[in-house]
Amino acid sequence: MRAGPLIRVILVALLLAAAATAVAIFVPWLPDQASEEAGRTDFVFWFVTAICIGIFAIVAAISVYSFVKFRVRPDDDSDGPPVHGHTGIEIVWTVVPLILVVAMLVVSSVALARNDRVPADHLRVEVLGQQFAWVFAYPEEGMEVGKHKLACIDRETRLIADRCKTSPNLRLPVGRSTRLYLTAREVIHSFFVPEFRLKQDAVPGMTTAITITPTKRGDYPVICTELCGLGHALMRSRAIVTSAAEFERWRRSPSGENGDTSP
Amino acid sequence: MAPGWLRAAWMTALFFGIGFGLVAGIRAFAGWDPAIDWEPIITVAALTMAPIGFLSGLGAFDYWLGWAFGAPTRPDDHSGHGARSWSDYFRINTDHKVIGIQYVTTTIVFFLVGGMLAMLVRAELARPEANFVDPQTYNELFTAHAALMIFLFVIPAFAGLANYVLPIMIGAPDMAFPRLNALSYWLLPIAGIMMLASFFFPGFGAGWTNYAPLAVEQPFGNVFFSMAVQWAGASSIATALNFLVTIITMRAPGMTFWRMPLLVWANFTTSLLVVIATPFIAGSQFFVMFDKVMHTNFFDFAEGGYPLGYQHIFWFYSHPAVYIMMLPGFGIASEVISAMSRKPIFGYRLMALSLMAILILGFSVWAHHMFVAGMAPWLRVPMMVTTLLIAVPTGIKVFSWLATTWEGRINFATPMLWAVGFVSMFVIGGLSGIFLGAVPIVIHTSDTYFVVAHIHYVLLGGSLFTIFAGIYYWFPKMTGRMYNETLGKVHFWLSFLAFNATFFPMHIIGVQGMPRRVYTYDPQFGNWNLFITISSFVLGASFIIFVYNMIVSWRSGKPAPSNPWRALTLEWQVSSPPPLFNFDEIPQVVGNPYEYGVPGARHAILSGERAPTGEAETVQR
Amino acid sequence: MSAHSETPHGGGHLHPPTANQSSRVDAPTLGMLLFIASEVMLFGSFFTAYFFVRVNAGAEWPLEPFELPKFVAGVNTAILVTSSFTIHWALQSIKRGNRAGLQAGLVLTLALGVTFLLTQFREYSRVGFSPADGAFGTIFYGLTGLHGAHVFVGLTLLTFATIRAFRGHFTPAHHHGVEIPGIYWHFVDVMWIVVYATIYLL
Ligand code: HEA
Ligand code: HEA
Ligand code: CUA
Ligand SMILES: [Cu+2]
Repeated sequence: MRAGPLIRVILVALLLAAAATAVAIFVPWLPDQASEEAGRTDFVFWFVTAICIGIFAIVAAISVYSFVKFRVRPDDDSDGPPVHGHTGIEIVWTVVPLILVVAMLVVSSVALARNDRVPADHLRVEVLGQQFAWVFAYPEEGMEVGKHKLACIDRETRLIADRCKTSPNLRLPVGRSTRLYLTAREVIHSFFVPEFRLKQDAVPGMTTAITITPTKRGDYPVICTELCGLGHALMRSRAIVTSAAEFERWRRSPSGENGDTSP
Repeated sequence: MAPGWLRAAWMTALFFGIGFGLVAGIRAFAGWDPAIDWEPIITVAALTMAPIGFLSGLGAFDYWLGWAFGAPTRPDDHSGHGARSWSDYFRINTDHKVIGIQYVTTTIVFFLVGGMLAMLVRAELARPEANFVDPQTYNELFTAHAALMIFLFVIPAFAGLANYVLPIMIGAPDMAFPRLNALSYWLLPIAGIMMLASFFFPGFGAGWTNYAPLAVEQPFGNVFFSMAVQWAGASSIATALNFLVTIITMRAPGMTFWRMPLLVWANFTTSLLVVIATPFIAGSQFFVMFDKVMHTNFFDFAEGGYPLGYQHIFWFYSHPAVYIMMLPGFGIASEVISAMSRKPIFGYRLMALSLMAILILGFSVWAHHMFVAGMAPWLRVPMMVTTLLIAVPTGIKVFSWLATTWEGRINFATPMLWAVGFVSMFVIGGLSGIFLGAVPIVIHTSDTYFVVAHIHYVLLGGSLFTIFAGIYYWFPKMTGRMYNETLGKVHFWLSFLAFNATFFPMHIIGVQGMPRRVYTYDPQFGNWNLFITISSFVLGASFIIFVYNMIVSWRSGKPAPSNPWRALTLEWQVSSPPPLFNFDEIPQVVGNPYEYGVPGARHAILSGERAPTGEAETVQR
Repeated sequence: MSAHSETPHGGGHLHPPTANQSSRVDAPTLGMLLFIASEVMLFGSFFTAYFFVRVNAGAEWPLEPFELPKFVAGVNTAILVTSSFTIHWALQSIKRGNRAGLQAGLVLTLALGVTFLLTQFREYSRVGFSPADGAFGTIFYGLTGLHGAHVFVGLTLLTFATIRAFRGHFTPAHHHGVEIPGIYWHFVDVMWIVVYATIYLL
């Protein structure tokens, strides 16, 4: 291969990469970032995006270049050069993607491990998904955790203990890690808050868990993302992040009072 | 009575009656009340027995039954072979070429039906508040849309194209088991009609993945889905078995594995995937059906069942299934790109080996669909590793195609446009797959429109584009006529642009947090959705051009030469359409299939030609 | 069809050229082996469901009130294993041209297979639980029922072979019609041993 075409392909690739980067930067992709976990996820997201822009640019550049440069009229009867392969190049395009893949794996695994840890001093919230609403239950300090890792929700009868404060909205104090324990009543639901970048299915008969560390006060949508029947599209709730003091005040008020309207 | 539609009609009724009597009889005998319970009766009589009656009436089993009962063997007069008039396409036909055309036309009909369902989906989603259909109907629409596209379009369309060309490519007069081949085809319309009939019972709306326990809660139409998947699955296992036996035992002399065209390689690996993986979806659908009709407890957690078990079993099939839906397309792309670039495939052996690598890795990644499902957390990192590793063999294929076009003498006829369009669109879809494979990202994007975008970039930009490449490429061979090149190009460009306008924005709204499988959504996504809906109508309209082009060209296109693309593989060395038994004499294969530009190279010697000269042998490396 | 005297597409041949045989295995045997491979996977999906249920239960197996008739099932296992030998004998007989041996072997195999199925049905009516009784009942009937269905299919194939044997078909050179159902029958037997070991013994 002569150097000329190679340089031109690289130029086209750079052009395309610039265009793709513009799309990546100027389109508002990710929603607001409202948790520590979101920060790590977003880093992985942009890391993978950068690699993918590079790969896409190369592929698109070669396609466009050969589309323009090597096309002939349909009645052209000549053949191309009989090149069967080139071991060196083939090794390159096996090894380079392999390295990129390993890089993405390492970054992802690190972020995953950090997001998954269970801090010693965490707030405990239990979540019950049912057709078609969420119930969030707050066990009192020192309540005994049952054999299914749940204190408030009985997994067999799927009833919620009276001693727990319950709410249709998720209330969280800012800055403190919260561990959510999820289960479901009849079918699978999925708990998703885009601003937290966190999602976890709630499965009947099982307990699943995630850790959230909110960093910003606010009112975020809780969306059910697992098809759960006719009301799936409407199964929404709110995640309300307040200051620790305000959270404590809410928590001590009896259930049903001090409604879930204040931000 | 002679096999045919009349006999099929009364035998369908007869077998329905037998099924009815069987169920009602057993229930009466066992003292269950009521004896006439329609759910088990429809399951057994209408969904299991009636199709068998239909097939027997059509004559699918006549020969085998005669053999089984020891009837004296009569010499085969090949009357079930070949088509002399259009009515021969509507009976049990054992000619792989007729079956191939039956497959392709039937699957295109299902594609159009599935596409119309997608149009209804898009109409509902045009505005956030639109109430064009009710929620249950909406769920039924996208479920049936996906089920038709996957089980009755992409998988069998590839089987149909390969059915037509694969035996000729390896120099065989037909498939190894022609009667089984005919049976495989006739299972398809049964499966398709069953799936569509579900709408009236009323339909099933648990998504094409049909997750338990929601599936068990669905209306009775869900059983129609489960049984339709069984029939379609039986069809694809039978075809795969047939391909494998044909490829292994019926290659022409000289056609070693390393001389097989890549389409044959691709179908070889795909068939292995089908034979090994498809029984798992059969199992998963049996389980939900039993839970529903017989009140068993495979997935009822209150009785000790395990809901996540469904997902593991389902995805152990359905992840390999996405490669079942892609590898044959890789094969088609290799054929088209090499012939149209007038260059040998770059790195032929690595192309074949990477198919095998995808096959093996494909079995080890199923749980990447369950990253947020609550499965054992330790499974996530190993699944992420294998998932991302698949990028490596796939990348080898992509780069090899690009290298094949490099410095070629490229004829951008319609098949080549689709093939090149496929490469770039599939790379976008594959890269969004990488986002989904990276666990922290997929925790955010799972079950959002980002996944819907991924699905359509790989399935529409990948599978569908290669199916169109294949249809345009082999249209002259199958029909003996040329398609209209201008209309073909208009079809491509319109589809290509409208496709990107429809599905690229889905990445954006997905990352912003719009969930999938919803009939209404947050107004902040309203503008994008309106734009998507309008683009999707343009996309739908582009297929009208295709249908018009195919029908008109088939009837009155200009006659096709035997080898319009000057390709070297065997199917182009016989007339268009090929003779009844493909070859007068089995050809002798003497070289590789992609020796474009190699002076004096030969792939095969057909009867009536001179034996190979010494110089032809020397060009083989 | 009467039109097959005229040849379409101008080809001059009414008979296909004989295909090249490119492998040492013949097509029907290879087809049967591949079919068995997919059957093994079907059983695999049922075993997967079995282990999910069992691991999920986490308790002593079989679950508390249930008890399985190990001994009767053991005898039944012996019956089915014996039938593998009789079918083998039938095949060896026809290979040596002994038609009476072929017929006797096939009839014996059929009889043993039918006995197995009947014993199984009797067991179903006696075990005291139904498929709807908890996940344990479900998985027990699921696996044994799937296997029973395969015995039924195997018996159907063997019936065809028997009919043909009595109508004087097979010869020492041509006995695919016994050999291939025979392969399937051996598979059904081996599968039963696995099912028995898993469900009753493990
Ligand atoms: C033809 C079908 C097809 C194909 C080929 C693929 C290919 C891939 N898919 Fe996709 N997938 C689907 C069809 C397909 N998928 C469907 C239908 C669903 C949704 C099911 C549902 O829930 O309804 C799905 C869902 C899905 C999920 C689950 C998302 C979720 O629901 O949470 C994931 C997660 O890992 C995933 C990943 C991948 C990956 C990594 C590939 C890889 O094979 C892609 C490999 C290709 C490339 C990477 C591009 C080319 C490579 C290069 C140019 C080399 C260089 C690249 C790098 C170094 C990165 N897919
Ligand atoms: C090969 C697979 C395939 C193909 C080709 C398509 C094609 C299309 N798909 Fe689909 N789709 C899936 C596979 C596929 N899809 C899957 C697997 C899902 C997931 C389902 C689930 O969640 O369970 C899905 C889900 C899905 C959704 C998400 C639904 C939801 O989550 O709520 C949407 C929404 O826009 C959509 C849209 C479309 C559109 C607009 C097309 C268009 O490209 C269709 C264009 C084609 C036509 C419109 C046909 C044209 C026909 C005519 C014009 C008639 C002419 C007739 C004559 C002349 C006789 N699809
Ligand atoms: Cu709950 Cu969707
Ligand atoms: Cu997958």
